[in-house]
Amino acid sequence: MKLLKKEFSLCLHPAAVVFLGLSTLVLIPNYPPAISFFYVTLGIFFICMAGRENHDVAFTLTLPVSRQDAVAGRVLLACCLEILQVVLCGLLAFVKARVIGLPENPSGMDANLALPGEGLLLFGLFNLVFFPAWYKDIRKVGVPFLMASAAVFVYIVAAVVATYALPFVRDQLDTPDPAFLTAKALFLLFAFVFYAGATFLAFRLSVRRFEKQDLQL
Amino acid sequence: MAERNNSPLSIRGLCKYYEGFHLEDVTFSLEKGTITGFIGRNGAGKTTTLNAVLSFIAPTKGQVRFFGLDMASHAEEIKQKTGFVSAGMTYYTMKKLKTITKVNASFYPQWDDRAYRRYMTRFGLDGNKTPAALSNGMKIKYALALALSHGAELLILDEPTSGLDPVSREELIEIFLSLRDEGKTILFSTHITSDLEKCADRMIFLRRGQIAADRPYRDFAADYRIAECVGEVPADIQEKSLGACRTRDGATVLLRGVDAPAGSRVPTLDEIMIHLEKEEGQ
Repeated sequence: MKLLKKEFSLCLHPAAVVFLGLSTLVLIPNYPPAISFFYVTLGIFFICMAGRENHDVAFTLTLPVSRQDAVAGRVLLACCLEILQVVLCGLLAFVKARVIGLPENPSGMDANLALPGEGLLLFGLFNLVFFPAWYKDIRKVGVPFLMASAAVFVYIVAAVVATYALPFVRDQLDTPDPAFLTAKALFLLFAFVFYAGATFLAFRLSVRRFEKQDLQL
Repeated sequence: MAERNNSPLSIRGLCKYYEGFHLEDVTFSLEKGTITGFIGRNGAGKTTTLNAVLSFIAPTKGQVRFFGLDMASHAEEIKQKTGFVSAGMTYYTMKKLKTITKVNASFYPQWDDRAYRRYMTRFGLDGNKTPAALSNGMKIKYALALALSHGAELLILDEPTSGLDPVSREELIEIFLSLRDEGKTILFSTHITSDLEKCADRMIFLRRGQIAADRPYRDFAADYRIAECVGEVPADIQEKSLGACRTRDGATVLLRGVDAPAGSRVPTLDEIMIHLEKEEGQ
């Protein structure tokens, strides 16, 4: 918890907070909602990049903590932003569909219960690619972000295509609530399990790579 | 032997191999309440040694123990009693010092807020400033204030005076001396050897990745003499030379004290280091 507090106090980049506000893109008609999740990953990239410039790793490792703790602090900060984004997105999806009453979205998932699940899948994939690649060499943050962004964009395209091409997604998940609520709830649960598993795996791989790394500080 | 084992820092056979550079068999122990100068030219391996000591890099071989404890299994305990200050490191340039301090303090159960305020006042630091607004000397002082307020007994200083003006350097040296009087142990890595002449109890001279000398300061300085030769260096001096440097009128030659001719003088640390490096180069 002390490290998470340190991450919020010293490492949280203002852009990451601003990008959380871009959750409101979900309210725009015909806008691919998965794109709003991408901005949070951009915020995480900014945090890591600013951390490098501010010698964050050197500061952290002179504190009485292990390298594993240092990785845990950063991954937890990312998780906080991601979960907050998913919750915001879920709430805004509800507002869009049930309060404002906007029509169905032709470019991707409708504003429904499955939408936060789409975000969790995206974040799980991002964490799995970005963190292990970054902790392999913490001086290089751009290449891991490009790799993770490439994976995320392939996923976004696949997610939009699936709303037209995959019968289960098209006919059950990409529908206005309250239709097929059980299927959507199960999808959300599956997405959460994937997110937790992928993030845990990302953490383990990152720790293993970070512990082997010679840091020229 | 027991006292050696409880040395604030004890290094045995430390090696780190890089392509083109080897840190080879670095071995030394620090005595409590002393200032040890760790000198060597740029690229001699001082920072590599410190990085290995602090576990920033994994040594190829060797053992590092703090207060008799191994870093791998007692990292937290060791870091509670150790402070690391580096001139080249500026953390979170746009955050207020008081924000950085608050975070830093939360990791140390023995954090002494009164001591922190005392050091901030003594060093003329304002908690509302950011590191970006501080001079290099003030940044070092702030890092020292943090290290000392968590009760660090061992201070590892990497080039703390580099880039500072003479007045600031003098001021820092006085601070180091008063810390030594309080029983703190200091390992002071630098290539500005004149700073060590004023405060070091012991010298460790690293040359091309190996310890070339490890002596009490007085013995280290007393071991050598400089002969100033006008014109050609006489053959008998040339024979015993540990290193020579050309001057406008001839050359200065570093000799062992026992080999020195009458009229030779005590060299400065700078002169010892430069002449020994010359010998290596030749």
